Amino acid sequence: MKLFRRLILRPLRRDLMRTLLTLIAIALGVAVVIAIDLAGDAAAGSFESSMTTLVGRVDYEITANAGVDETVLAKLSGLPVDARFAAVIEQPVVVEGPTSSHTSTVLYGIDVIATGTGLSSGQESGDLETSAVVSSELAERFHWKKGDSITLRGREQSADFQIQAIAPNQNTGWIGIDIGAAQKLLDFYGKVQRIEVFVGPGEDGAQVEKLIRATVPPSWEIETPGARSEENRRMLRAFRWNLRILSYISLLVGAFLIYNSIAVSVVRRRTEIGILRALGTSSRGVLLIFLGEATMLGVVGSLLGILLGRGLAAGIVGMISDTVNALFTTSTPGALALSPLSVAAALLTGTTVAFFSALIPAREAARIAPAEAMRRAVVEHQARLHTGRDLLIAFTLALASYGLCQVGPIEGRPIAGYAATLLAVAAAAMIAPAFVSSLIGALRGFLKRFLGPEGLVAGRSLVASLSRTSVVVTALATAVAMMVAVGVMVGSFRETVQVWLNAQLSADIYMRAQGQARAGIFAPLASPVQGLVERTPGVDSIDVLRALEIHYEGLRATLAGARTDILQRSNTFRFLKGDAREIMASLPGRDRAIVTEPFTEKHHVGVGDVLKIPLGSGVAALTVAGVYYDYSNDRGMILVDESTLLKYLPGQPVNDIAVYVKQGFDRVKVRRDIDDRLRDYPVLIAPNEFLRAEAVKVFDRTFAVTYALEGVAILVAMLGAANSLLALVLDRRREIGLIRYLGAARGQVRRMILTEAGLLGFLAGSLGLALGMALSLVLIYVINKQSFGWTIQFHPPFALLGSALLLVWIFTILAGVYPAQFAAGLEPAEVVHEE
Amino acid sequence: MFSTSVLPIHILDATKTYPGGVEALRGVSLECAAGSVTALVGRSGCGKTTLLNLCGAMDFPTTGEVRVSGQDTSKLDDAGLTHLRRNKIGFVFQFFQLLPSLTALENVELPLLLAGAKNTEAKARERLGWVGLDDKCESLPYQLSGGQMQRVAIARAMVHDPAILVADEPTGNLDTASGDVVLKLIRRAADELGAAVVFATHSAEAAAIADIRVRMRDGRMESA
Ligand SMILES: Nc1ncnc2c1ncn2[C@@H]1O[C@H](COP(=O)(O)OP(=O)(O)OP(=O)(O)O)[C@@H](O)[C@H]1O
Ligand SMILES: [Mg+2]
Repeated sequence: MKLFRRLILRPLRRDLMRTLLTLIAIALGVAVVIAIDLAGDAAAGSFESSMTTLVGRVDYEITANAGVDETVLAKLSGLPVDARFAAVIEQPVVVEGPTSSHTSTVLYGIDVIATGTGLSSGQESGDLETSAVVSSELAERFHWKKGDSITLRGREQSADFQIQAIAPNQNTGWIGIDIGAAQKLLDFYGKVQRIEVFVGPGEDGAQVEKLIRATVPPSWEIETPGARSEENRRMLRAFRWNLRILSYISLLVGAFLIYNSIAVSVVRRRTEIGILRALGTSSRGVLLIFLGEATMLGVVGSLLGILLGRGLAAGIVGMISDTVNALFTTSTPGALALSPLSVAAALLTGTTVAFFSALIPAREAARIAPAEAMRRAVVEHQARLHTGRDLLIAFTLALASYGLCQVGPIEGRPIAGYAATLLAVAAAAMIAPAFVSSLIGALRGFLKRFLGPEGLVAGRSLVASLSRTSVVVTALATAVAMMVAVGVMVGSFRETVQVWLNAQLSADIYMRAQGQARAGIFAPLASPVQGLVERTPGVDSIDVLRALEIHYEGLRATLAGARTDILQRSNTFRFLKGDAREIMASLPGRDRAIVTEPFTEKHHVGVGDVLKIPLGSGVAALTVAGVYYDYSNDRGMILVDESTLLKYLPGQPVNDIAVYVKQGFDRVKVRRDIDDRLRDYPVLIAPNEFLRAEAVKVFDRTFAVTYALEGVAILVAMLGAANSLLALVLDRRREIGLIRYLGAARGQVRRMILTEAGLLGFLAGSLGLALGMALSLVLIYVINKQSFGWTIQFHPPFALLGSALLLVWIFTILAGVYPAQFAAGLEPAEVVHEE
Repeated sequence: MFSTSVLPIHILDATKTYPGGVEALRGVSLECAAGSVTALVGRSGCGKTTLLNLCGAMDFPTTGEVRVSGQDTSKLDDAGLTHLRRNKIGFVFQFFQLLPSLTALENVELPLLLAGAKNTEAKARERLGWVGLDDKCESLPYQLSGGQMQRVAIARAMVHDPAILVADEPTGNLDTASGDVVLKLIRRAADELGAAVVFATHSAEAAAIADIRVRMRDGRMESA
């Protein structure tokens, strides 16, 4: 214990600044990993929470594409089992505000009698029709109290309800009313979203399930609510994996730092090691000292990181759940739950990373022969270079990385792509020493001429401590590369999406029902709307979209019907292959469909394949006529002609209307006109520019988390740069003193260290840019393609990248300010004679 | 005789007390003329290095007066001291003389570069020639012997023709033969280049080359 204190704690205290910087770096790395995991978990959400609150524990859910036929309820109730069956409607609904401010939320229509919910308790059945339960979130948002009256608006009419109860601890908005009232309000008869099954105590669940299966059509699905959340998780898997991998990069950068920090410690304590060895410490003992130091840093850093991560998670859960809802699936963010397990995992991860990062320098320390350490080694920095060997390894790694890029996804995950990324980083790390020495060599004349003696000494000392410099450069370059790669990917994606949007949004005015703009929820427009719009003067033609969420091979997708003749005229779609005109012309009146690129990637179907989709009472067999580019969401979409959809689902309501304005009419005037006509309906009307801007906004918000992650990785790298520069200064105290004896002013010493910082930044920037460009290709063509199925055109955002790199460079120089100040403050008379 | 103001080193009754309370110098006076060699001898800890630091404008006295090249060092700020060192003073130490990452030539050139001088490389080459190491210009310090390193250090100390050469145990770490070469160079720095040389040493042989030998004990001078 005493030894531990003297040999591990004391040096850590002595180098307080280094210790602190390293701790912060580990803490940040761990924090990011924790935060992404926690926030991702929470955003993936608790999919059953609101239903459980309303009706209690559900055992099974019966669902079908395009809704469940209500008549089956009677058959189910006749089954000889102890189970209750309750129909549920889940639809968007508009709550009328005091003025014309409407809010949309989710309406649950539930069978009050069958479920025995709190709605009916103590109430007379006459009140049932007008009773409502609201979630606490909604109640708080609008200051509703028990007994208040609210007005809900359906497709055709409105109705008043009295709040009978407020469901506590809800973090989303919803309203529950009796199913009869809901059907009346929404004009939604005959079909329900699902049937909840409650199995009686003592009854065999499997038996119940078997009987239900025998009763309902074979295409219907019977799942446990858990299976539903499981499916959501599966949909989010790729997304979360990518975020997670990004979050590991900070940890990776942190690992370089720990390596560096321990290497510094080894160099600084060389003499001490020699003495310890001479006094009889075994080389194992020396190894343990340094591993102990790293482990200490790892444990303390991870603990800090866990606390920090919990806070960070709260900050980003909103951003992540926005993305989830916009692109993947409707979900309710659950509570952030920091389980003991994840705490333990984080602690283990941080400590393990610290331990293994320290292994190489610690082993080096253990190999120091007692005599060698005691000798005054003038050339202790002289790196043993194995340039040829290193470059060969780098080449092999790069080749392997390229090879991995050719491998397809494994279980829908681009595992090989991730591995390729890692190998590419490793290759860059192997190149780093040769890169640093040759680039500084090339800059030699320049440095001396333009930066004078500061430049000369700065360049030389970086090369002199090459092994250390290379590690810092690699760490910083990894962070920069990640920034560049993600920047190029996102920039390319953004450009691609914008080009796509311009083609996609070819109509002049768009409208949809007020309601949640979330993946998988399609609010119906009131039935008179279409006619009113069509009859507005100046309207040339309209396209109507009817969309619904379906299950296809266990994954959710969107099935939609549209007027393909109009879409073809406006040249809306771009197909991967084939002639757009021919493909579109083949759709009307036939069981043919076009599908999005993500859909084909997920289900491995191509042109000519037949999709069998249970719809209503039958099964639609749709032949894939073409695959088109689409970036609206990840779930995949099947588009058929209006006539085809209505053939299978007569009466399917309209969700979106796109209006083409006649030549010669003022679009703004036409829009005002439509606005006027639809004043009484909860419809969102937007011109095409607005939608484009909105789409780009959603896009940018989606990548906000990514940028935040990059920021942290860069920050960690900056800490690393500061730490290493400080180490370089501490290491070269005597040299700095000597230079002062030779007539260097404090300012010159300061400039020298800042020049080193600038050089480090420049080296890391150029290596990082090269690596990042390579990684961006992996991201775009391998990882993104395999995860989400989108084809992204390569469009590097040069201006943005340039300024980001410049910023990083400036920050690196700023990271040198403290070390430079420290160096300038050294008393030469003291340090030169110090030993 | 010379007027005191032009003496390269003129120290009058200087004391130096370190922050810890150690009285390293308890009243010393020293005058060194251009072209003269002064040796400081005495036991370890008697204050030699402290006195050399005063001569080299590296440090101020606690009390008393130190004039280096006619300038009162107590009246100079850090920039002033730096300026003085840059132009008037050359240093040689026992250990860690050379920057390990720079070649011999670059090491010699460094003071000129730091001072912003012109023609630095030619001057540095010339000085390296003066110590007899023309052929080692491109060598890195670890490729040189201890004696050669010390010669490079002397070349570097003299590259800007300083008025004062301060050397702290310049031969302390060398064998006799290399030590002799170094001592000859120190003597030549005074004779040929006209510097006022002050050096500290533990060896009687080394002290023998000096014009003036100062014996120190406990921060005081025993004999002049
Ligand atoms: N920076 C300092 N702070 C405090 N005390 C110091 C400092 N430098 C030197 N001393 C003390 O001042 C006294 C004189 O030291 P100095 O280095 O001048 O001796 P020296 O004669 O050069 O010795 P040596 O022959 O061993 O080099 C010593 O007692 C020393 O401990
Ligand atoms: Mg001394």
